[in-house]
Parts: sequence; structure tokens; C-alpha cells
Amino acid sequence: MKQVDNSFSYFVGIQNLQDVAPKDARICVMNILGNESRKVTPVSHAFSGGNVVAGVQYGRSGILETPIGDIPVYPRLAQVIKHHQFDTGVIYLPPGAVFHAVTELLHYNKSLKRIVIVTEKMSVKDQLVIREICQSNQVDVFGANSLGVGDSWNKVRIGGALGGDKPEESLLKGSIAIHSNSGNFGNTIASYLKTSGFGTTTIISSGKDKIIQFGIAEFLHAAQNDKRTKAVVLYVEPGGRYEQEALNMIKNKKLKFDKPMVVCVTGRWKSQLTRAVGHAGALAGDGDGAESKEKWFDNYLEMNAFDPEKPDKVGKKGIRVKSIQHIPIAVKAVFDKLKWNNDFKPIGDLSLKPWMGKDFEYKLPITLRLPVVEAMDPYNHEIKKFNKELGGSYLRRKMRNASGASRIDPKTQIAELYNSPVVDLVEYPFESNIIFTLIKEHPHQEDLPFVNACLNYLSRSEDIYYEAILVAEQNNATPNQALMTAVSMMGNNSQFVLGKKYIRGLLTLLTEMEVKDKFTPFDLEKASKIAKKLFPTGKLNQDDFAKMMISELNEKISKSNIIQFVLHFIKNNKLENCNLFLIAAIYTDIAFQALLLKKISRNTVENLITFTGIEARISVLAGINPLKNTLLKKIRKREPVKILQTPFTEVAFQSVFDRPPRDTELQEFQALLALTLTNGVGTISAKGAKESVSARNNISTAFAGFMSNTGLAHGGAGFEAVDFLIDAFHKMKISDPGKIPDAFRIKSLSDDVAIQYLEYKQKAKAEGKTSYNRIPCINHPVFKGNPINTDPREDYIYHHFKQLKIDNVFWEFYHELVNSLFKVGVSSNVYCVNIDAVIAVISLKLMWPDYKKDRIRKADMQKIGFIIFLLGRMTGVSAEISDHLDRGQDMDCRTPVSETVYVV
Amino acid sequence: MQITGMKYGAPILKLSGFPVPEVLNANATLDEIEKLIHKRSKCVVKPVFYGGVGKKGKAGLVRIVKSTSEALQAKHDLFFAEHSFHNQRIQSTGVTYEEFIPSDYEIYFNLNVCTSSRRASFTLTHHGGVDIEELPSVKIINKSFNVLTGLKAYHIIDALSDLNAPSEIISPLVQFLPKLWNLYNDFGFTTLELNPIRMEKVGKKYFPVACDFKAQFDQDNPHWKRLQLPPEIFHANLSKFEAEINQLRTYQGQSDVVVINPKGSITSFMFGGGANSAATEVLSQKATISSDFGGNPPYEKMYQIASIVFKYWLKQSNVLLIIGGKANNTDIFVTYKGMFDALRDYVNENGKPDIYVVSGRGGPNLIKGFTYAANILDALEIPYKFFGYDSSMIEVIQYAVDIDNYLLEKHTQKISL
Repeated sequence: MKQVDNSFSYFVGIQNLQDVAPKDARICVMNILGNESRKVTPVSHAFSGGNVVAGVQYGRSGILETPIGDIPVYPRLAQVIKHHQFDTGVIYLPPGAVFHAVTELLHYNKSLKRIVIVTEKMSVKDQLVIREICQSNQVDVFGANSLGVGDSWNKVRIGGALGGDKPEESLLKGSIAIHSNSGNFGNTIASYLKTSGFGTTTIISSGKDKIIQFGIAEFLHAAQNDKRTKAVVLYVEPGGRYEQEALNMIKNKKLKFDKPMVVCVTGRWKSQLTRAVGHAGALAGDGDGAESKEKWFDNYLEMNAFDPEKPDKVGKKGIRVKSIQHIPIAVKAVFDKLKWNNDFKPIGDLSLKPWMGKDFEYKLPITLRLPVVEAMDPYNHEIKKFNKELGGSYLRRKMRNASGASRIDPKTQIAELYNSPVVDLVEYPFESNIIFTLIKEHPHQEDLPFVNACLNYLSRSEDIYYEAILVAEQNNATPNQALMTAVSMMGNNSQFVLGKKYIRGLLTLLTEMEVKDKFTPFDLEKASKIAKKLFPTGKLNQDDFAKMMISELNEKISKSNIIQFVLHFIKNNKLENCNLFLIAAIYTDIAFQALLLKKISRNTVENLITFTGIEARISVLAGINPLKNTLLKKIRKREPVKILQTPFTEVAFQSVFDRPPRDTELQEFQALLALTLTNGVGTISAKGAKESVSARNNISTAFAGFMSNTGLAHGGAGFEAVDFLIDAFHKMKISDPGKIPDAFRIKSLSDDVAIQYLEYKQKAKAEGKTSYNRIPCINHPVFKGNPINTDPREDYIYHHFKQLKIDNVFWEFYHELVNSLFKVGVSSNVYCVNIDAVIAVISLKLMWPDYKKDRIRKADMQKIGFIIFLLGRMTGVSAEISDHLDRGQDMDCRTPVSETVYVV
Repeated sequence: MQITGMKYGAPILKLSGFPVPEVLNANATLDEIEKLIHKRSKCVVKPVFYGGVGKKGKAGLVRIVKSTSEALQAKHDLFFAEHSFHNQRIQSTGVTYEEFIPSDYEIYFNLNVCTSSRRASFTLTHHGGVDIEELPSVKIINKSFNVLTGLKAYHIIDALSDLNAPSEIISPLVQFLPKLWNLYNDFGFTTLELNPIRMEKVGKKYFPVACDFKAQFDQDNPHWKRLQLPPEIFHANLSKFEAEINQLRTYQGQSDVVVINPKGSITSFMFGGGANSAATEVLSQKATISSDFGGNPPYEKMYQIASIVFKYWLKQSNVLLIIGGKANNTDIFVTYKGMFDALRDYVNENGKPDIYVVSGRGGPNLIKGFTYAANILDALEIPYKFFGYDSSMIEVIQYAVDIDNYLLEKHTQKISL
């Protein structure tokens, strides 16, 4: 027979806090396999020694696995009743279904004692109805919007996730009972109390909807009857008169309560609100705001709020605190007043202890400069584990049309790679951009000679690769097609495998040695011992390349302890491939800072030899005469070894033009390569590579995918512009396009071309032609509509070159031409010269001397232009490949069937 | 979610069969107004406010007019009238012309939820038309009743008898007031207040006519949508930011926001109702927004919410504060990944903001979440401090305030240089 206490005008079943979450409670969870319950219930079940007898998942049956055994799951409650007995229902259903579940529980289980409703955002109407029917059925209810109830003595948690995934941390046995309007704060307060040496008896997350089913009055009544509980802590928010009701009952002796209480009321600011934020019921109406509640408690406690500076100013009835952080010291103060002992020795404190942090360039005042401290156990171990992990990590996702490498700035329309606009990248040599596209940082100037040596060393291909290209070309393969053949043959060759092994080993070594930056010395002997296990010794002696590199690197020792260790190690040990080990060391050294800052993944760094090896070899194989070019021959033979220090931009230049560069040509060439580096992730060249990655191919196959997705359609506007310019300049004798003839001649030429074009256009219109040739590389769909228009990308590079004192007659002509076109009436405003013109005028300028000497023909110019595009885009594509490797998923480039169309 | 006034109140009350005066909107023709005045030789002109706005009469914003010219003048005066209510300045969005109801009695009636009894309740007095807080307790009565049976005639009879109300008004009120329960119960109300109900004498009998209307709806009870009220009357008092976030609201919560100070300098993500209360209080006017994103939001939702928050508030902020207690159920990794992915994407789009990130948190996957966030902040070179739950949450918030004060001072010095 259920008992009703006469203190209350309504039913209260729980007479003692020991009955809130007793050891023998048996539970049935409604919606047990729902998102929240299936994570929380196993933890509760295991913590409580297996108190969940069954669960209901409408329409489904099965089990819910837990660490201490499976919980059976039934499709409806009627079946649970046939097999199990329980006295507690826990509801995880969506709000609209809660009332139904309550009635179901009451209908089938006449011995039900309590219901915990975890669901939030229930309607007030349903809560009122639940109140009425549970009252008439004499069942106690916690919630809605409750995180459940817990008993630290019984080690039982019922309902929600009170204490999270580690309930044993919060439900620590002690003498304090907590009633909290916030589930989170119930947990937090329990954690805070430990710092003053207090544990808990019972924690109740009451929920803070408009209707609180198990209110403060019922809680105080049960706490009074609980011998374990010496004091209570109440966390109170605005809205409702539950507290006033309870305190009036005590005052009027309708409720006996003589234990001390520590109360925290928050939410003064909420008096300004007209709608709820956070807890639905924490909205003050008339006279039930935070300030009113503070007064109710202060009147009851006959004390003003707790002052942490004067901890002795507390009463035996307890005290109100202004902030939850004062709860532990206030409880301690009240206990001291009553000459009671705390439950155990204090654990930790609440002072500010940053577990992680960096100030970068911020120079905070001393008072705010908090040093990072070791986190408490077990979090310190987790942080150490994290700190040992080099490089950033990414959540994998579908990367079909996504990129973490490139994008087009919607405002400027400029393509960017890792937030660097390509127009900024024109300032960097090719070798620097090759590294940047992989490690997101440009190598330091002093590192470039080493980068060049590595690239040149890795650029060597065996004869068979050249033969394959030759056969392809003889069969009329396009340049990309021929290169694809060679790239495909690279596979995942032994150089790539060993290179990866070396870099991986070095990174493991640095992790083991807990190297935080490369400038701090570490124990070389200890590191050598680890290295011997990571890098099996071989028989190869050091060749000329190794000797040259060691000699050069000796000068770098003072700047990097990674290099210092590597030189120390190879001095005393023979390796399988010393040259590759040195390259691995140089790459590791260059990429280490970016790794520490988690800017790049460890996987990308491990693959650096593969990436740069492929790119270096393509750069040479793509050449128009690679086997006969003097420089390339020497580099291939690696004789003299110093030739390997040639800047790789020059190597690529000679590969493309088969001659040494003149004057400013290298700067112009590197600009061309940078400008074609990327045009965003949507380009078919990038998609070819990404699709190959998504099919889980070797890196070289992804480059082959890029090659297969390029073709003569690329650079169309550039070819047309070269044609157009050659025609325009056929009467003007230009021997050096870098020298500008007098302005009048250029202007006169542009006027003539404009008039000719006007006549051509008028004639075409008179003949009724709707389609006629446009002048290439002028005007732009975005940069238009002003009296004078400018493409900011073109404008930036134009002025950059002007600063470098690099002139280009074709470029000047284009600038004049847009004015002439406006002047003669072809255009209604001055068109911009667009970015394609930049590529065309620089390409033509570089090819002009050979064209004038008949060393190359118009058809060759198209091929050279295309190869330049391939080399530039190759570096950008390497970024897309490494990005997709880091972030993508298998087959993520597949087009969903719903997007496919069958065309008749 | 509140509405006041007869523009929407009259059609709602008609659904229950409760008598209402004739109400014309601001676009009424002169002819219509003239007829309305002619009916009772006067009419009442009131401004229309969105939201729960009271005390209009006290503020002199209710006019009784006797001619069309007076009515037009009242319209002119009241159409965009400003009114101070609950520390807010609100502007009118039109007027209504309401039939004047002569009366010997004014009744106050309110249906509500009583947290003392945890039941539905009503408040009633026949000394209405005034602020009921000003009435002595003997002149007003409050009764709770069982929601399963609803408001019954005997509740009204008992209440009016206890109040010693004149017998001539008891019968009509007993006849009409219980009708309001169906309206209240079926359309998602949490409060329904009529003040005054004017008792009009027709022949020898009195009839109640509701002359003002105030309602609050439960946004967690979808039945209010049955009224098909124009959405702008609820959204009018939402900022653009709040409205955008509100679109993401589901029964799982996770997206409650309110703008605290549009010129604030600390933007915070608060997790849990408790953290929301505590943090908003400590931050006070420094806070741009107050929020509660607790309830274990999924990644996509957290990302969307954070993107919107950053779009509106990051540029002006000195400190980005992420604060919560020791989460019970919220996955810290998922929520931090959502927020910091959004931050990274914001920076990609808009450049690096000049902010300091302060976070205090505990809960499942804490270190995984912290390290993920630290990864991104390291890469962006944005300064930060992350505290576990062994640091006082309030101290962490105070630390954010101190950082903000320092940065404000620094920025001021920079400007003065």
C-alpha cells in the first residue's frame, strides 16, 4: 500500500531520499534505442550494477549491449510486462509521445513507483495532464527535462546522463543532497563539492520546465528523513513559486526541515526576457524572478548572501551564495559553524588552471598570463597522447565537390590556395610553390638550395620512361596523354616506399623524443638508439650527392637539431639509401613547424618524397627535348654533382623552352606557372585527380587522373590570344618584346586593330551573322559595367611586373587596345584586360625569340603553352590530392543515382 | 510568444463563442468608422503592438472618440506611437477602432498555470479594468482545477460567490467564462487574460463582452498553429539573428538565443540552462548574445548555428567564450568540431578576426574536442585558453571579461595614437 504523507495536499510517494534511486529499483526504458538512450543507458546500467530489466523500442525488438550484459528490447510495453517486473519507467521519447508513454506505463504496470522523463521541450499542457494522472495513480515523477537522479551511496543512476560517461567521478559518497534546476549544474556542483571534501547522498536533476513534478518541498521532506544527508544544496533559477511554497510550509510548520541548506539562485538578467532562453520554465512571471527568490531564501536563512571574504558569516540554517563556485566553501563554512567534519580530504581546487593555451603575438599583462598546467588525471594522459600526435587531423567527409586546398574568392574572383591568392604566388619560384602546395608554407630562403637539390635528385627517370613518351608522341598522343603513360609507370616504386619509410621513421623518432621545436637540442645518443630500430643499416657508402649535401647541411646544423641529429646518425651508421635519407631529413626539417602547428597532416609529410618525386620527374619528362638539353642531361647524370643545385625553376624553363633563360625570363616563367596553379576545385583537372583518390589509388595514379582530365581545350583563350597578337604584330618589327617602342607606335597599332575590328564587326552584322570572332582576353562577366574596367588580378600582376621593371610590349598593346575599342565605338565602355591575357602575353614574350628565329612554329607554340599549363596546374593538383587523401572517403566522388539522367 | 489587443484577440475569442465588440482595422473606410461611432455614439481607438504589451491605458494610448475627425486624429497620433514597457521601447504598427461597450461592471479573468498547485488555475474579480496587483486580496480570487475535467461552471459560481459578486452578473459569467477553457486547452495557450470584460446590459440581462485580450502561447505546443496567426506577430520582436537561429529550433532544444547587447564585445556559446543563467549574469552588457546550445546538438546543427553566430557577431567581438559545466550528455568533440569548423570556414571567407578564445568545459570526449579546437586555432594563430571543469566556471567567465577589458583598453589606446 502506497503511503501519502499528510504534510502535502498532493501525493508524494518518496518519503526519504534513499528511495529516490534505491539499489533495488528495476527499470524499463522507453525508446531505449533512441540516439540519446542507446549511449546513456549502457553507462547507467553498468554503473548501477544492472538495474535496467528491459527497454521498449516501438516496432522493434532486439538487445542493447552494455558492458555488463545485454538489455532485452521489446516492440511494446505489453510484452515487457509478460517477461519482467519493474517499478521505474524512464522516458526518452520525443515530446509529443511522452504523455502516451506515461499512460502506457500506468496502464500496464500497477506496481510502478516512479517515472523519470528525460525529454525536453514538452508542452505545458502535457505536463499538467501527466501531473494529474500520475497523482491519481500515486506515482512520483522526475522531469520532464531531467537528467535523471542518482544515489552516490547506492551507486545507482536512473534516467539521464547525470555524471556523463564517468558517473563515478560525480556520484562520490558523502553527506550532501543536491536538488538542481540544471542537470549540468547538478553534475558540476557535485564536482565542485569535492574540492572542499564533500560527497553526495542523492542528486536530483529536477528539470526546469514550467511544471516541476518533484519540487523543492518534496525534496526537503525526503532529505529531512534521510539520515545520510547532513545538508542540502539547491540550485535555483527564476520562474515558479516552488521555493516560496516550500519555505512557507516550513515556516507554517507544515513541513519539518531543520538541516542546513546552501542555495544558489541565478538568472537576475532574465527579468528582462519575454520568452524563454535555456530552460523553458526559467522565465520569470510576476514576483517569481531571481531577485524575489533571493529574498525568499534570505528571509528564511536570516542572512545576507555569502561573502567568500568573510566565510564565518554563515548561519546554522545555511547561506545563499551568489555563484556556484562559492558552494564548496560555503558548505564548508556551514559545516565548520556546526562543528561538523567534511566527508573526506579535499580533492583539487577551483582556481583557474588552463589545460591548453597559446598567446601567439598577444602580450597579455602578467595578471592574465596564465601558464598552461598539467590537467588532472586521466585527462593529462589524454593530452599527452594528443601532444605526441604530430600533425592535424580531419574528419572524413564527402569531398566530391569540396576542397580544403583551393577556392575562388567570391568577391575578387581570384583563385586561392590555402588562402593565398595565386596572384601572390607569382612572387615565389617554382620550387618554393611545389613545397607550399603540400605543406601550406613556403620554405625559408635558406632552405631553397636544399629543395632544389632534392627536386633535381628526384627528377631522374630511367630511359624506358622517355621511350614510352616517344612511342606515345609517335602515335599522335597529346602532351598530357604521353605524360600520363610515364606517370602511370611510376606506380608506388621503391623510391617512394623507402622515402615514406624514412620520413615516417624520423617523425616517430621526434615524437618519441618529445621534440617540441627543432631549435631545442635533444639527446643525440638516445635518439640514435631509437633510430637504429627504425632505420635498418645497409651497406651503401656515401656517394657524391650525399657528401655534397652533408657538407652543405653542416652549415645548417646551428639552425636545426633535426639536421644535427641526422648528420650525427649517418656519420656513425650506414643506411640502405643515404641520399634518400638525407632528402627525407630535409623535408622533415622544412615541414616540422607546420606539423607542430597542426597545419598539415602527418600523412602529407610522409608522402613528400612521393609527391615531389612525381612532380620533379613530370617537369623534366614534359620537356620538348629533354634528352638533348645540356642542363637536363647533366642533371640526369648528376655530373658534376653541384649541377643538382640549379634552381628548379630554371630546370623547368629549360625543359619547356630547351634553352637557358635570359634577363627576367625566369621571373616571368614562375609567374606563369603560379597563375595556372589552380582555378578552384571545380576544374576538371582537379576532379580527375580527386576521383582517382576516391577510388583509393596510388598518388601517381591520381596525377595520371589529372593528366587524363586535361586536354587541348585547356588554355583555349590563351592560344587565340597568341594567334591574335601574332597577327596584330606581323607588320611591326619586334625583336625584343621586353623593350617597349615609343608609345605612339603602340597606340597607332591599337587604333588600327580597333578600326579593323570595327569594320569586321559591322560587315559581319550587315551580312546577318550572329556569331563573329571576339577579341580574346578582354572584358569579363564580373569586372564590367564601369566607365573604365579593370580585372584586379591582371592589374595586380601588371603593377608587380612594373615594380620589377619587367616590360612586355604585347601587354602594353592590350592596355591600349581596350581604350581604342572604346574610342572607335566597338565597346560602350573601356573593357578590362582579363587574367587570360596575362598568360598569353607572358607566354608569347617567352616564345617570341625562338618564333622569330623559326626555331619554333605556331603549332609548337600551342604545345609549349599547354605544357606550361600542365606544369603549373600539376602543383595545384598535388594540393588537391593530399587534401583529398586527408579528408575524403572511399568512392566519395561517385555521382548519386538521383543526380544522373538517362538521355534518349 | 505573446499577443495583445483585439485586432487578433476578437477573432480568436469568436472561435469560442465569447462575445466581443466590433473591431475595425486601420484600413477601415470613413464610412465604416462613422457607422461604428454611430452604433454607440462613440468608439475606442487603440494602437496595435506586437508582443505582450500592457499598460496602454495608463500611458494615455487609448482614445475614446465621438466623430470621424477625432478618430482620424487619434489614428494619426497612435499609428506609430511609442510605448515603454518592461524597459523596452516599442512602436505601434497601426490602430484598431473598437466598438464602445457601456458597462456597469468590469471583470478581470485570467487562465494560467499555477506552479504552487502545479495545476491549471484561474484568477477572477469583478473589480476589473485596473491593475489587479493594486486590488486587496479579498477582492480577487485564484482557484486551481483539474485539467482532465477542465474549467467548469461550478468553479465560476464558487469563485464569484466567495467574492460576493452581484448576483446579476453571476449567471452570464457562469454561462460564458467556461467557454474560454476549450479555447485555452485546444490552441496551446499558457495564459489567456481578458481585462476588462465589460458587462453590457441588454434589456434586463447582462452579457459579458471582452474588451481587451492578452495571450501567451506555449512554443512547445504546436496547437497554437491551429489559429493560423500571421507569423510576423511573433517574429516582429525577434532580431534578424534570432529569427535565423530560430529556424533551427527542434524539440531537442539546442538553439535558444537572445540578443543581449548589439554592441557587446564577448560572444559566447553557452551550454546548458545553468551555464546560460550564470554566464549571462556575469557577462552582463559585455555579452552580444545569451544562448543555450546544450542538449547534445548534432554536428551539422552546431556548425550551422556557429556559422550564423560568427556571421553576426564575431567581427565586433574581442573574446569568443565557450562555456558550460561538466556535460552529462553533450558530446564535446562533436560540438567543438561544429563550432571550430565553422570558425575556420568563417576565417577562410572573411579573414582572421582579432579575437581571444576562452573556453571552460567538461564532459564526454572533452580532450578530443579541446585538441580538435586547439588544432584549428593553432593553424589560424588565434590565441586561446582552454579550462577543464576543475577550474571554476564563473572564474573562467570572469577571465574572459578580464581579457575583454584588456583588449578594449588596448584598442582604445591604438585609436588614440
